[in-house]
Amino acid sequence: MNVKVFEKLHAEGLLSDTSLESVKTAEANRLFSLHWEIKTLLYLGVLLLSGGLGILIYKNINTIGHQVILLIIGVICAGCFSYCIRQKAPFSWQKVNSPNAFFDYALLLGCLTFVTFIGYLQFQYTAFGTAYGLATVIPLVVLSVSAYYFDHLGVLSMAVTNLAAWMGIAITPFQLLSANDFSSDRIIYTGVALGVILLLLALISAKKDLKKHFAFTYQNFGAHILFIACIAAMCMYEETYLLWFLLMAAVGAYVYLQAFKEGSFYFVLITVLYGYLGISIVVTRLLIRGNDLDVIYMGLLYMISSAIGVIVLLIKLNKKIKHARV
Amino acid sequence: MLAYSSLSLDNLEIKEEAEKALRKDCIDVPAYQAIEAAHPVNFYTPNPIIKIGLFILTAIIICFSLGLLTLISFDMLRSEKGFASLCIFAGLACYGALEIFVREKKFFRAGVDDALLWSAAGLLISSITYLYDGYSSPVSWCFFTFAITLLATLRFADMVMAGVCFLALLALAFTLMVKLGPVAKTIIPFAIMVLSLAVYAIGRSWRKQYAFRHYNWCLTVVSVLSLLTLYLAGNYYVVRELSNSMFDLQLEEGQSIPGALFFWIYTTVIPIVYLYLGIRKKDAILLRTGMILLAAIVFTIRYYHSVMPLETAMVVGGLVLTTGAWALIRYLKTHPHGFTYVEPDEPSLADKLKVESLIIAQTYTPGAHAPSNTTEFGGGTGGGGGASGEY
Repeated sequence: MNVKVFEKLHAEGLLSDTSLESVKTAEANRLFSLHWEIKTLLYLGVLLLSGGLGILIYKNINTIGHQVILLIIGVICAGCFSYCIRQKAPFSWQKVNSPNAFFDYALLLGCLTFVTFIGYLQFQYTAFGTAYGLATVIPLVVLSVSAYYFDHLGVLSMAVTNLAAWMGIAITPFQLLSANDFSSDRIIYTGVALGVILLLLALISAKKDLKKHFAFTYQNFGAHILFIACIAAMCMYEETYLLWFLLMAAVGAYVYLQAFKEGSFYFVLITVLYGYLGISIVVTRLLIRGNDLDVIYMGLLYMISSAIGVIVLLIKLNKKIKHARV
Repeated sequence: MLAYSSLSLDNLEIKEEAEKALRKDCIDVPAYQAIEAAHPVNFYTPNPIIKIGLFILTAIIICFSLGLLTLISFDMLRSEKGFASLCIFAGLACYGALEIFVREKKFFRAGVDDALLWSAAGLLISSITYLYDGYSSPVSWCFFTFAITLLATLRFADMVMAGVCFLALLALAFTLMVKLGPVAKTIIPFAIMVLSLAVYAIGRSWRKQYAFRHYNWCLTVVSVLSLLTLYLAGNYYVVRELSNSMFDLQLEEGQSIPGALFFWIYTTVIPIVYLYLGIRKKDAILLRTGMILLAAIVFTIRYYHSVMPLETAMVVGGLVLTTGAWALIRYLKTHPHGFTYVEPDEPSLADKLKVESLIIAQTYTPGAHAPSNTTEFGGGTGGGGGASGEY
């Protein structure tokens, strides 16, 4: 806080003497927080360590032997989990704060090594048979249980990613568009199914008050994957694109209403932007039927005027949401 | 000079300070409301999330308007000069719209004004440079970039413009010295160092001055950049590779540049100096820049000398970082010398959007990619499906 500002306010008579004094003492006792710096270091450390160990094992596989490696991974994993179980606060369906800063990273390391452990078993010994499902279901179960049991949003994101992988889609933020071939029917339908499941999970979390703060993560992944699947379908299917547009409109309306209830600018914004994209696709498809220069003019004019319209809409919505959180 | 009213900017600062005090329970709600009423802020600044949307949409409008303009005046644009003039017209139009929005609608960091400002500057810089000498000389590029972004910074106190302006100044100095001849070339690193240090010192002193209070954030950006360039100007990797490729030194693999010892010492010492000063003065800028540059030391050394194999380095580094962080957290429990591990109480946007969990999800790829073929992952037809296709 800038003490000079408060002195000025005090001189104007807007601030009582006691308030000024408390501002001054608070400013004098202010501590310099190294929170984010240390957190970054910790996260980098965990990443480097797990990556480095991975390469080390990979290079020395012939000298160490598979059993030893499995043992090492298992010991690290078990160590992390036992530390977490000893340290954790009692379970509750409400938000539970982590007992200390190290706890989160120990849990993260434990989960990562567990996934590696299962993957290794499967890759080397095909321990879970050739049915692909089982080998992804086990990490999925363990990750989801850990996320709820230890209350960790990062692990929950991993679980959601794993659920998607089990269903056959990559949904990590940077791979969502690059690693999925949205021109295949299967991906589109899976995307819709996954999106609906995630939105339902979000609804259940919020309504039944089961780890309410997880709802955001579910809703976030669910809304994006559902919208993208709908848009892909609208681009792909010549005949049924209007049906997909209706589906998208329904989803949009649902997410929008939820967002208003929660006071969430973020979901309002993505609904508006995806919806705008959807409408633009429909308009473009209609315009493309005629094919002379006028169409291009119309298209450009449509883009300009509609974008202005959406700006006005966003500004209005911004005013409408009071007490917004994000 | 500044497009915004000084009084409103002052009131905005008062309001922000009062909010902080309210969060820390130094003042009560009626006092906060009284302060807010006595110092009204008439700016229009939407929620940061909405701002991103407004920015994207404004950028869309500008692109398509430029397309429409080109289409309408297609017959008149017989040469590239014609197109450049059209771009100048579009840039001026953007600037005009920006002035109107700022003056009439009181837009302040609203997304719309940022998009207009950046595109106006971009359009004007590129087309003026083209008209002046057809993009041929880097000096004129740097000069026009510097001049236009400087004016934009002065008028709108925009952080991005300030950063670009500083970098353009350095680039201008660099290109001018390259032109001057061989002697000037050898002292380029030192000239850049001196320039960066001077800018840092000036920025530091101006940040404390009342007259420059509205440019505080611009000066912060410039300070961070100048610390980075101060380091990079003397970094061994940068100096060696840049002089090798630009001045035809034709160094063989393993050969080093003249004065290598100096540059090696500089490479390793400066980040530590930053860290030391950052901790001594409790200066977050110095501290964080120092932290980033520690990584630069590691990369520079590893590029020329393979001290140990990559995986060993990663394991050792990981161990050092984790145990170091753990020890620091324990040490900071008693708040020694006014440092703490407790989270700062200003709520950040990254926190609210749960960015951390997204980063974890990004760095994690689901395991057990079994070599079975019951499920195929659709492999890399790259970005196809949706978003971009229809525009």
